[in-house]
Amino acid sequence: MSDGPLIVQSDKTILLEVDHELATEARHAIAAFAELERAPEHVHSYRLTPLGLWNARAAGLDAEKVLDTLLRYSRFPVPHSLLIDIEETMSRYGRLRLEKDPQHGLVMRTTDYPVLEEVSRAKKIAPLLGPRIDGETVVVHSSQRGQLKQLLLKLGWPAEDLAGYVDGTPHLIALNEDGWHLRPYQKLATENFWAGGSGVVVLPCGAGKTLVGAAAMATSSTTTLILVTNTVAARQWKDELLKRTSLTEGEIGEYSGSVKEVRPVTIATYQVLTTKRGGLYPHLELVDGHDWGLIIYDEVHLLPAPIFRMTADLQARRRLGLTATLVREDGREGEVFSLIGPKRYDAPWKDIEAQGYIAPADCVEVRVDLPRDERMAYAMADDADKYRLCATSETKTHLVEHLVALHQGEQLLVIGQYIDQLDEIGERLDAPVIKGDTTVAVRQKLFDAFRAGDIKTLVVSKVANFSIDLPEASVAIQVSGSFGSRQEEAQRLGRLLRPKQDGRAARFYSLVARDTLDQDFAAKRQRFLAEQGYAYRIMDAKDVPAG
Amino acid sequence: MSLIRALSKELEARSDESLRALFAARPDLISPAVPDFAALAARASARVSVQRALERLNKPQMQVLETLHLCTNTDTGHSVSAAGLKKCINGATIAALEPILNTLQELALIHRADPPATVHNPGRQHFYLPVGSLKDVIGIYPAGLGRSYTELVRLQPAFAQRVVQLVAELHQSGANIMAATTPMDAALALQRWTSTPENLQHILSEAPARTRPLLNKFGSWAMGAVPQAQRKASVLHEGRDVGPVDWLLARGLLVPLDAGHVELPRSVGLSLRGGAIVDHFTLKPPVPELGQTSAALRRNAAMGAIAEALRLVGELLYAVREQPIVTLRSGGVGVRELKRLADSLRVGLSETALILELSALSGLLRLDVDSSTWVQPPSLEWLTLPRQEQWLWLVNAWLASERAPSLVGQTLPGPATAAARSGSSANPINALSAEAQRPDAPLVRKRILEILEELTLEAESPDGKAPVLNAEAVMERAEWSQPRMSRRFSSLVRGILHEAELLGLMGSGALTQLGSAIATEQPELALSILGEHLPAAVNHVLLQADLTAVAPGYLAPELSEKLLLIADPEGQGPATIFRFSGDSIRRALDAGQDAESILTFLRTHSATDVPQPLRYLIKDIASRHGRLRVASSPSFIQSDDEAAIAELVREPGAASLGLVRIAPTVLTSSASPRETARVLRELGLSPAVQEAESAVVRYKRTAPVSGGLRPVYMAPRTAPPDDDVEAQLAVLRQHRAVHGEASGEAATQLGLETLQRAIRLKQAVTMNVVDGMGNSNTETVVPVSVSGGRVRVFDAAKDTERVLSIHRIIDVEPAVEPHK
Repeated sequence: MSDGPLIVQSDKTILLEVDHELATEARHAIAAFAELERAPEHVHSYRLTPLGLWNARAAGLDAEKVLDTLLRYSRFPVPHSLLIDIEETMSRYGRLRLEKDPQHGLVMRTTDYPVLEEVSRAKKIAPLLGPRIDGETVVVHSSQRGQLKQLLLKLGWPAEDLAGYVDGTPHLIALNEDGWHLRPYQKLATENFWAGGSGVVVLPCGAGKTLVGAAAMATSSTTTLILVTNTVAARQWKDELLKRTSLTEGEIGEYSGSVKEVRPVTIATYQVLTTKRGGLYPHLELVDGHDWGLIIYDEVHLLPAPIFRMTADLQARRRLGLTATLVREDGREGEVFSLIGPKRYDAPWKDIEAQGYIAPADCVEVRVDLPRDERMAYAMADDADKYRLCATSETKTHLVEHLVALHQGEQLLVIGQYIDQLDEIGERLDAPVIKGDTTVAVRQKLFDAFRAGDIKTLVVSKVANFSIDLPEASVAIQVSGSFGSRQEEAQRLGRLLRPKQDGRAARFYSLVARDTLDQDFAAKRQRFLAEQGYAYRIMDAKDVPAG
Repeated sequence: MSLIRALSKELEARSDESLRALFAARPDLISPAVPDFAALAARASARVSVQRALERLNKPQMQVLETLHLCTNTDTGHSVSAAGLKKCINGATIAALEPILNTLQELALIHRADPPATVHNPGRQHFYLPVGSLKDVIGIYPAGLGRSYTELVRLQPAFAQRVVQLVAELHQSGANIMAATTPMDAALALQRWTSTPENLQHILSEAPARTRPLLNKFGSWAMGAVPQAQRKASVLHEGRDVGPVDWLLARGLLVPLDAGHVELPRSVGLSLRGGAIVDHFTLKPPVPELGQTSAALRRNAAMGAIAEALRLVGELLYAVREQPIVTLRSGGVGVRELKRLADSLRVGLSETALILELSALSGLLRLDVDSSTWVQPPSLEWLTLPRQEQWLWLVNAWLASERAPSLVGQTLPGPATAAARSGSSANPINALSAEAQRPDAPLVRKRILEILEELTLEAESPDGKAPVLNAEAVMERAEWSQPRMSRRFSSLVRGILHEAELLGLMGSGALTQLGSAIATEQPELALSILGEHLPAAVNHVLLQADLTAVAPGYLAPELSEKLLLIADPEGQGPATIFRFSGDSIRRALDAGQDAESILTFLRTHSATDVPQPLRYLIKDIASRHGRLRVASSPSFIQSDDEAAIAELVREPGAASLGLVRIAPTVLTSSASPRETARVLRELGLSPAVQEAESAVVRYKRTAPVSGGLRPVYMAPRTAPPDDDVEAQLAVLRQHRAVHGEASGEAATQLGLETLQRAIRLKQAVTMNVVDGMGNSNTETVVPVSVSGGRVRVFDAAKDTERVLSIHRIIDVEPAVEPHK
């Protein structure tokens, strides 16, 4: 028996022993078809899913290679049923093909007549198909390409899309690499994406996803639409593109609530696209009314439902999704993959950290005891109020003061869910508070001041969760989390991961009230990070060192 | 001469070598030992023994034997030679038939006989007759051919009534058939009408379409189901659009047996086969078309399966130790209990059932009769064995077991299926219930392994690839190599192949090296292969900050057991992941561990540091463990007077109560409330008893269950031990001189033979019968039938039928008929 780094389990997971000498080699080999599920310090676990296997087939890997990889790197015999399962699953891919027919336009062809028969009888699929040309070919309405692919995937007969992409309007974009270079993983991610045509790149916060976007734009050199979460993020994208590429101010347009510019490179917010007026989405025209060669979805895990629907109609355009945390609390990760495209690149956070591209972080969960009166109030509260009560405990406010004092002189963020609590903390610390009703101008001003070091402490609500680039923040204190959201917790930690000038480690405190719902939710939230290898130290409030 | 006596003579004339071969092939002949050749011949002719011998014959042997049976008549002594048989077997040659006839003769299923008087025998060929009981054993459709018209007329009264009219109608309609006035004549007329392939061809030339295909369905078996078989069908009232069944019935080419079945008479069947009894004869077994799989894949699958099976059995035993398996009142383990086990093993129900059956048949679980639960016997040797021996233990037990684990979950045939048809759910077979018992399972298993080995050897290719063998291929070969046994295979073969895969005897659909070693009875070889490839147990885990411990491989059982107490297992496969949680730590604390001992245990067995979150979790849970305590006490004493309580604890007179102060105002007593009150009263106190005495719980003591013994596998039906054979030979040869008087066993067989012959020939016999008072009488009667130890006779003198027990008959002889 070989002594490989993999242990293939019969429950379709693959364990990778990280400290093994062949670990890196094996990781690269299996990354093509298995999804990284957990990456704690010693043993990473990958999962084999039909989607992952089909994506591998799409990337040109066949079942034999997959089996060969597993058998080669596995330490123990590989469960035979699993091998059979992989073979069967992979053989389902490509029996249906979407092709361009010179005469009929988009058609679906099959090599396996009964499959076509089966899917064309499916209730949801039948309306998407046009007339039958012959026994093995059927016309597909070109606007239904995305929806058809998605439904076929659900039926378990994924279609191989050979219909290709439209070129879009050419527009020269070049990377402006003076004094900096694309990092190897950014290059690899871009290459993988381009080779696959469409897909999602998963990189940790602070690892430079924007640059992957810029590199993709440069490779494409066509007009590009960038969809981002909010206006602040839109501005950051613009700044970054101006700095890193040959694009000029006049070539980049912003399409948001306040400004509506359409330029060769246009940055639009999800919000403006999904604004509904009289039952219509007036701004959706931006997307399909122009001949974009590339569409970039920033923070693709936040993609709202109307954009999902819209994306289904855009299958002929190249699509790039960017995210740090592809976990959706609504469980629609699968839809992201099927509509935007398969995962083209994914790296465990700790890997990037080890290469020095993101700052190491030290996560600490501080447990506070509720005082007796708060405990009584908590015990007697309605279920609906319980979480708020324990999350906004008095003791936390005191602890925040203590911690802020402890980290005197460092750039510090206090993050929370409840505005009252944040206002109170802001008052106590004499620090500005950024929340939903803070105007964009004020936000921008405060963030600029924080970046410049004029403000040392910022108190922020969840508006600052995403896409806010605060390179120098090195300490964050989370006073209350948004229930059990795993990706929010990760994004909050992500605010700290930009590498620091002096190579300092970031510190992330999460304050949790003991023996309450707060503790349960905290455990849930931390799961993503724990699986990425970020272990929380747990300490009691009384053990926090005195300033 | 009686057939038994003839056989006895022939056996006696054989060499010792030939007898040894006979005993090896038919071990039941000398078990128990026989006193002389007459008894040996009698036993060889007994129905059961012939039946067993027939089960070992392959298809060509069976075909020759059946043809021989059809071509001979034991009553008239009409024998047949190889040349005679060749005419009846399409594709046979004398050279092919002779060795088969020799084998059959060696097996004492046929013996040499004089040529029939009518046959001129210049070539000095050998002529043969089958043993007498072959007729009963072979059944009513030898070679799948039906009975003759005359026989059908004799046995089917409805047909006998109709046949004369049928022939008359045929005659009237212009068919080339003789008119007849009696049923027997009509039968003979039909027989002649259909007697040659040409005649039949001629008759069928006017048949409606689809008649040929319908007749072909009767090609291999003469009986078939037809709705309303006894319908009225006549040649004279036939429409143009007559259906094939009506057409055949009207011409007597199919004979109705009852409301739903028809039979193809022998002459029609023979003509359909072109006049031969066997139309395809070949000595070569069918070679299935098989896929191939590589040696690496096979080994991977086998090793994976074995590791998995052993792990699951281990986990099952652990689960049973935690909580014995409850049985249903009707026997077996119910689905709910099985579900519980499946949850704890984290596998599906059917796989759980298999593992459970396997553990039980290996003696790793025993039924505790007192509690009606399945428990693990204490001090189980299996647990201490190295893994390859654990495997061999399971394999040996499986080979020898009369249980068919894969039947669990399937529905019972028969009444249960009737229930399914009527809409209510059929009862599936429960695990460990009596329904999954199959006494012939060991034999079938052995045969299947042999067939697998055979097919693998035949198809082996030089690059180490082996054929993928499925149930169909095995069944096809079984049909050929043991047609009489293959029906027993069909319900078991799939399950056995699946179980073999579970045990690593098959892998990737093919026989593995291990399977081949087991099939050829070389367990030592299997052990050494396994020892080489089975990875050693690990005795460390990797602790991680996400509160998991990963055992990178098969974890040493004692370690695994301790970990199971403090963490919950997750996942399924060669490695086990244990997840620590508040609940699991609490469980360990409840079991008497403390934070320090848990941490020490983890530190010793972890290849890595204990991560801070895990340390914190354990300490945090431990520090809060036991804030509320639950304990039991037969009674307590409560008083608002703290001083009185303190005094009572120190009171020597109350020492017998075993008082413990658990709070300033509460004492617990180890005595019952009544007893406590009595002692307190004796001390001059006046307690108020609040409760009635609670019921005393008696814990049932279970009798110690004996430990499972290591199963030793004895392959079923191997040749008898050499010593027995030699002893038997010595006995037989010694008795050679004094033969003449038949021994008891031979006499019974001889008597039965005489009776059966008399029944067939409708002859009278003279019997010496002992009545209820012990007096013996000689009677002359005509026997009618023999079955179940009784004989039905017709007493011509009293004109009545009677039933006699065979054991009351002292001897039987054919009656001497005075008129002849």
